[in-house]
Amino acid sequence: MVLVLAIGDLHIPHRAPDLPAKFKSMLVPGKIQHILCTGNLCIKEVHDYLKSLSPDLHITRGEYDEDVRYPENKTLSIGQFKLGLCHGHQIVPWGDLDSLAMLQRQLDIDILVTGHTHQFKAYKHEGGVIINPGSATGAYSSITYDVNPSFVLMDIDGLRVVVYVYELIDGEVKVDKIDFKKTATTQSAH
Amino acid sequence: MPPVPASDHASPIRESISESRFSSLRGVRWRIDLGILPKSPASIDDIRRVAADSRRRYAHLRRRLIVDPHLSKDESKSPDLIVDNPLSQSPDSLWSRYFRNAELEKMLDQDLSRLYPDQEGYFQTATCQAMLRQILLLWCLIHPECGYRQGMHELLAPLLYVLHIDLQYLSHVRDEYEDCFSDEFHGVSLPEIELSSAYRFEKIMNMNTAATDKDGSVQEKSAKVTSLDELDPETKDIFLMSDAYGVEGELGVVLSEKFMEHDAYCMFDYLMNDANSVVVMAELFSPSPSIGSSTGLPPIIEASSAMYQLLSIIDSSLHSHLVELGVEPQYFALRWLRLLFGREFSLEDLLVVWDDIFSFPNLVSFPDKANESELGCRILCSPRGAFILAMAVSMLLQLRSSILATEYATACLQRLLNLPEDISVKKLIEKAKSLQSLARDTVFSCSTQGGIPGHQHGGRRGQSLSYGSSPVTPNLLSDSYWEEKWRLLHAAEELDKENCGDTVSSDMANGPLIGRFNLPRTASDPCPTDFQSENKNVGPSDTSTRVDRNHGIYRSDKVPRISATEESLCLEIEAETDYVEEHPDQDVIVKGLDVAEESRFNADNSLSTATSPHRMVNDHEYDSEDSSITSSSLIGRTCDEANSAENPCNTSIDKDENSIASSRSGQGPYSVEKHAAGLKKWKPLSGRFQWLRRFNRGYAEGNMGNRIAVEPQKSYVVADNCGSISGAPASDPCHNSYEVSRNIEDEDKNVIGTSGDPCHSSFEAHGEIEDEDKNVAGNLRGIAKAMLENIQVIESIFKQDQGLDGSKDSKSTTISGDGQAAAMAALEELRNISNFLSACDD
Repeated sequence: MVLVLAIGDLHIPHRAPDLPAKFKSMLVPGKIQHILCTGNLCIKEVHDYLKSLSPDLHITRGEYDEDVRYPENKTLSIGQFKLGLCHGHQIVPWGDLDSLAMLQRQLDIDILVTGHTHQFKAYKHEGGVIINPGSATGAYSSITYDVNPSFVLMDIDGLRVVVYVYELIDGEVKVDKIDFKKTATTQSAH
Repeated sequence: MPPVPASDHASPIRESISESRFSSLRGVRWRIDLGILPKSPASIDDIRRVAADSRRRYAHLRRRLIVDPHLSKDESKSPDLIVDNPLSQSPDSLWSRYFRNAELEKMLDQDLSRLYPDQEGYFQTATCQAMLRQILLLWCLIHPECGYRQGMHELLAPLLYVLHIDLQYLSHVRDEYEDCFSDEFHGVSLPEIELSSAYRFEKIMNMNTAATDKDGSVQEKSAKVTSLDELDPETKDIFLMSDAYGVEGELGVVLSEKFMEHDAYCMFDYLMNDANSVVVMAELFSPSPSIGSSTGLPPIIEASSAMYQLLSIIDSSLHSHLVELGVEPQYFALRWLRLLFGREFSLEDLLVVWDDIFSFPNLVSFPDKANESELGCRILCSPRGAFILAMAVSMLLQLRSSILATEYATACLQRLLNLPEDISVKKLIEKAKSLQSLARDTVFSCSTQGGIPGHQHGGRRGQSLSYGSSPVTPNLLSDSYWEEKWRLLHAAEELDKENCGDTVSSDMANGPLIGRFNLPRTASDPCPTDFQSENKNVGPSDTSTRVDRNHGIYRSDKVPRISATEESLCLEIEAETDYVEEHPDQDVIVKGLDVAEESRFNADNSLSTATSPHRMVNDHEYDSEDSSITSSSLIGRTCDEANSAENPCNTSIDKDENSIASSRSGQGPYSVEKHAAGLKKWKPLSGRFQWLRRFNRGYAEGNMGNRIAVEPQKSYVVADNCGSISGAPASDPCHNSYEVSRNIEDEDKNVIGTSGDPCHSSFEAHGEIEDEDKNVAGNLRGIAKAMLENIQVIESIFKQDQGLDGSKDSKSTTISGDGQAAAMAALEELRNISNFLSACDD
């Protein structure tokens, strides 16, 4: 059993001062094995903070990241799943399912994590999952100011992924859960 | 010795012997000893039932406590996601429990991966590691107040290993008696055997049709019954225990690989935390004082100081050496006791040690005492706890010489924590067993003396009331303590005397001796005037028989029969009696006292009043006297003490004789003889003596030299002694004489410390005598010479003292004058005897 945190678009310090206190208190070291960060952190301090949660930190580059060494996209295998990571500002139209599915096929991955739209989204698509964890700080996006802070935690266990969505609505943390099972033939289970 | 503890002490041994039913199945034996399976008379069916129950309990626990958040989600369809999510803050959520377990497991794995690295064969296998992890995890979850502490895994590992060995043995037996153990029902289902023989098929068919019982256990047994009867009972037990069709079915199979984890857990749980037991291993791991502890110290500290206390009784010189070096007991006892010596012995040896540890019941044997005494001694209240501490002490004694050779604490600890590999476990256990009863008796001393650990050695080290190493400074000793002590010594002295008388008159008849040893001494009043008034009307006959004895007859009677050591004692008595004879002006007092003591002694004997704390202490004292033989340094001391506890008039004489006797090797063997003769029922002790004798025989030669070396110092002791007696005012005789004995004690210590082993010499003498009677004459001559020397010294000092006293204290002169006169007379007599002796031998 592996816990993977998907988080992104923090825009610290430009659009938000810090993570919401409630999120910060939930995110403690020792539980999370991997962190997938879609980008736009934007400063090194945030990188360091994430590193403190889990040393296995994967980051792709958002358009506001000051560290230019982050790659455009990244793939990795966790358990029996192949995961891909991309910020998403390169994929137009932004947040479009078909465009994202294209990238998913291109990278040959089961789970694609992207960001940029600051809106939580999760699709089961063509035997894979496409996840947008939203903005962890609730920073405004170029599309909308109405953003709820959110992030995603994936519990990968064998052929099964449970996606927990943490969203801060009116000062309360709401948790939602999405089950996903990968079949041996990579056909969608649901 | 007191009947109650003795019988109590014997019973566990008897039980453990009867447990030899499963002699080849250590795991089963341990499970019985630990109280998981019913005790011996239980039938196999009962055992199976209990085993099945314990496994069910474990399975239930495991199901309840090992959480898997993935599985639980399916079961409960409406999980509260706010609470049950991986990042949940609530401590009750599945996930936080899961994370806590995971954390614990990680910690466990760190230790488990290093468990017995040299025994990779078993402990490092994945299955074993998984089992160990699971067991420890569950135990920690059930006992959150203890949690996991490093070392617990090393307690568990041998338990699992033993079960593993049992299974190996089972498969070995199975191979041997294949036809009995083969399971034909299973054979049917196996494709390669299926229907291969028409005969077998038919037979099975017949059996199936004939079966009235559906599970087939009835005809299975009836089919086997012919072959089963041919088996020896042991194998039959094994068969019945591993028969899947027995009571409780497969769950009741006592030796089952499937349920190893369950069984090991039960054993571990009982070992760590049995509610009824005294030695709770979990407590030893806990850093905080246990409930009910008045000292406020962690139990492990209390247990280790109890060990030191025991050591101080058994071997005070070793104890004081350790204290001097600043080696606190917990420095090494922490590891010894927490792991039950797991690190000190190889695994095979450890199993033998644990065999014995577990074979002793872990219940409070003296509940009333246990409540009274404080926790440092509480561990001693159970035979098992006493044995564990005795084992530790016997290990210390084993290392005695090398510890005494160390000059720094670090070097000493190094030796304590790296036991020599060639150490003989059997010997250690034997010794521990012999020390065990003594350990248990310290409970009494604890409870009567206030039960503070360290108290004992504090007292032993001197009169200054310094409790250097005792963790809690007790209240000042009450006067009654010393009085008590004095009484004991007094009683002991009387006992000694009586014993001698016995050897003379009744030729060491066993019956009366035992009776005497059982005597409870509750009312020994040391006030001399009482005796005097009492004695006049009681039996003068007793004394007269003794007094009437002629030297010549006496000697000729004795010499061929008894060893020379007794000789010296008889001599002692005679000196007294003769003295009584020849000084009619003074013998009123002395004789009276003598008679009083005798008569009172006898009276007490017949009375045999109820048990009381005094008596307990009394027993304890005897024990310490016994133990002094082991320690080889205490002996002279206790004897001196005992004899010095005479009445003031007698003191000087007695003392002289005593110190002469002890320095002349009379005393040691004497007490050995006494115990060997009188306490034959005390198997462990006499066993120990034999061991000691063997040990000491090695020192046979070169002892004469030693003796001579000791001589001047001894006589110094005597001198000092006399001085203090005559100098002290007679207001408090008890205290006075006690102080005197203290003096002697201290001096004795010095003597022993400086001049090696005077007690070895005494032992040697004894051994020699036992071996060859030819030496008797030589010894006698030696004794005579030494006596002469002593007498000369004493005389000279007496003369000095007389002068001093006269000028110093006019009040004391009357008494000390009397005493001195008496002493002088006795000396005269002594000289006569020695002359006679040397003449006789020539």
